[in-house]
Amino acid sequence: MGREPAAFVFGQRMTAPQGQPTKRMSGAIARARRPNRDDMECLRLGVPYWFMVAVLVTISTFQIWMNPFGFSDLVQRYSQDVSDLLITGPYFYGTEGRDNVSVAIVDENTLHTLNSPWPWKYGDHARVLDALLQYKPKAVVVDFLFVDSRPDETLKDLVAEIGRYRKAGVPIYFEGGIDLPYGENPLRPELAKTGVPVIDPSIPINSGVARQYNATGRCFNQNPDAQGNCPSLALRVYRDLYGKKYPPAPVNDMMELVWGTRTAPENHWITRSDASGDSHSCFEDMNLLRRWYLAFFNTSVVKSPCPYTAEFPVDGMLLQPDDKDVVKMATNRVIFYGGALQGAQDRVYTPVNDLLPGVFVHAMAMDNLITFRGHPFQNAISLGGKPVDGNLVQIVATIPVILILSLIHWRSVRRKRLKLCEPARERSVTFEYFFDKAVEKVWHYLAFGLALGVGLLLTRSAGLSVANWVEVVFVSVELAAMLLVGLPDSIWGYLHHVAGGQLQAAPGPALDAAEERVT
Amino acid sequence: MKGIGICFGAALIAVSSSAIASTEDCSTTSGDVVLSARTPEVDLFDAPTGKKVMTMEQGKFPACTPISGRAPNFMLQVNVNGGKYWVPPYMVKYRFSGKLPAVCRNLAMGSNDQKAGATRGLGEGCPKKGAN
Repeated sequence: MGREPAAFVFGQRMTAPQGQPTKRMSGAIARARRPNRDDMECLRLGVPYWFMVAVLVTISTFQIWMNPFGFSDLVQRYSQDVSDLLITGPYFYGTEGRDNVSVAIVDENTLHTLNSPWPWKYGDHARVLDALLQYKPKAVVVDFLFVDSRPDETLKDLVAEIGRYRKAGVPIYFEGGIDLPYGENPLRPELAKTGVPVIDPSIPINSGVARQYNATGRCFNQNPDAQGNCPSLALRVYRDLYGKKYPPAPVNDMMELVWGTRTAPENHWITRSDASGDSHSCFEDMNLLRRWYLAFFNTSVVKSPCPYTAEFPVDGMLLQPDDKDVVKMATNRVIFYGGALQGAQDRVYTPVNDLLPGVFVHAMAMDNLITFRGHPFQNAISLGGKPVDGNLVQIVATIPVILILSLIHWRSVRRKRLKLCEPARERSVTFEYFFDKAVEKVWHYLAFGLALGVGLLLTRSAGLSVANWVEVVFVSVELAAMLLVGLPDSIWGYLHHVAGGQLQAAPGPALDAAEERVT
Repeated sequence: MKGIGICFGAALIAVSSSAIASTEDCSTTSGDVVLSARTPEVDLFDAPTGKKVMTMEQGKFPACTPISGRAPNFMLQVNVNGGKYWVPPYMVKYRFSGKLPAVCRNLAMGSNDQKAGATRGLGEGCPKKGAN
């Protein structure tokens, strides 16, 4: 069994007689409507490398830029969530930040224990702040807004407390109200007059989940930098406390939060109960396999209601100030003083806990900054000092993968063409089947590996988070599948056929010479 | 003679140490008592939820002051310089005859994946009279 060597000329245009453009056009239309399958099959083997690359770049650009049905965005963010929950959070996120940040919380139990209904008087807050000051914390951030000018004779106690902090050399920060429609002061003037730093508490919510953190915010009483920007809450506190030791990297657009999952050991006083009402510790060990197995069916099973950041209730601190856990959590740490109150509308979803009080988002941002020593993950890279569109970055990141995959595929197409000139070899059908399947698998893993390498390179060199390059991986595998089924070659074959490309037996020249003419 | 001297010295030490001990733990004062100031300054308030009326330095705050009252928010009523004031519990070292409430929380699954679909109004969530 054998086949006579044949040589083909690919890409020669079928020439129509001069002066007959209409006939040429009608011929093209006829071929477009009823293409010759055999012709196309042969013509597709002559696909040039540049065409293959162009088709794949077009597809990837469409997929990434157009964000069809919001699919790309959802995939990106969901991948980030899964990474936080199953990879980064449990195994790769350090505890340096966790050991330096705490949350002092006012919750429903606090109100009940202290028999103090909400809202509290300024004097009540002053007492809590004064109790915190006794532990010599690194800094205290007050996550309550004091906007409304309600009459309260204890306001001066809070003003005096700010003076005590200044005297003790412990930085204290207040937050300013935003989006106040009637020109209200962001902070009561009596408090603002003390010169206490007022910071923007805005939290960006991405599809309902706190995944990112602002780099800049409203200035209030801060002095803006040369670009007229003021740092966001966590960045401002970090800059003041750690800026000299570990200067913060410029954040091009936003911080990408990494949510830890290993609850602070100080939170042993918190338990969690499952759907059946059974009580569990917040520290139940779960090995990697079990975690992944459970998450495969339902990610919420591996989420924990216990916060990552060390937390203590202010009632515990006020009543038992020498409690060793309180002492540990409040001494020499950055303390966020906030509330977890029903109906206060300050709760946000996190990728690893579901709902948490908003104060934990600020604490987590601070934790990220400390853990990464001022170089948090970001959602954008900058070029010439200006942030570059994330989609553009991903498209550019896809190009090396496209170039490599296209080259490999193009060479295999080329080999197929050469085989047309060679006698066919006898091969077992079983061998062919398994060989093809193996190639298929290896091919996809190759695409996956290449894209993952590019992504990790972006993380390492530019600090981009997984959400900002995971699309490269998905698109690369998708493009690999398209190459496997020969999509660009088929398009080439069809277009070439419609344009009048003809498969011709070339009697004389060898195949290589013919190829040269074609490509 | 030498033995009498040793015995006298031992007795003196015993008496003085018990005197110091009684000052520190106020063993001579019965009931709930503020042992001493805990913070460098102690704020005195006119009511359990009232305003600050005086601030005393740590050294001037009287030791072993009986607690004459305990507010629901755990402010402690003490008699200082002839006046009745309230002090926050964290500002003083105190001794209670009763037990302090345990600090613990249980977070139920599902409790933190639902938001209240309403804004907290004035007075909501307040402990009701007669309810524990």
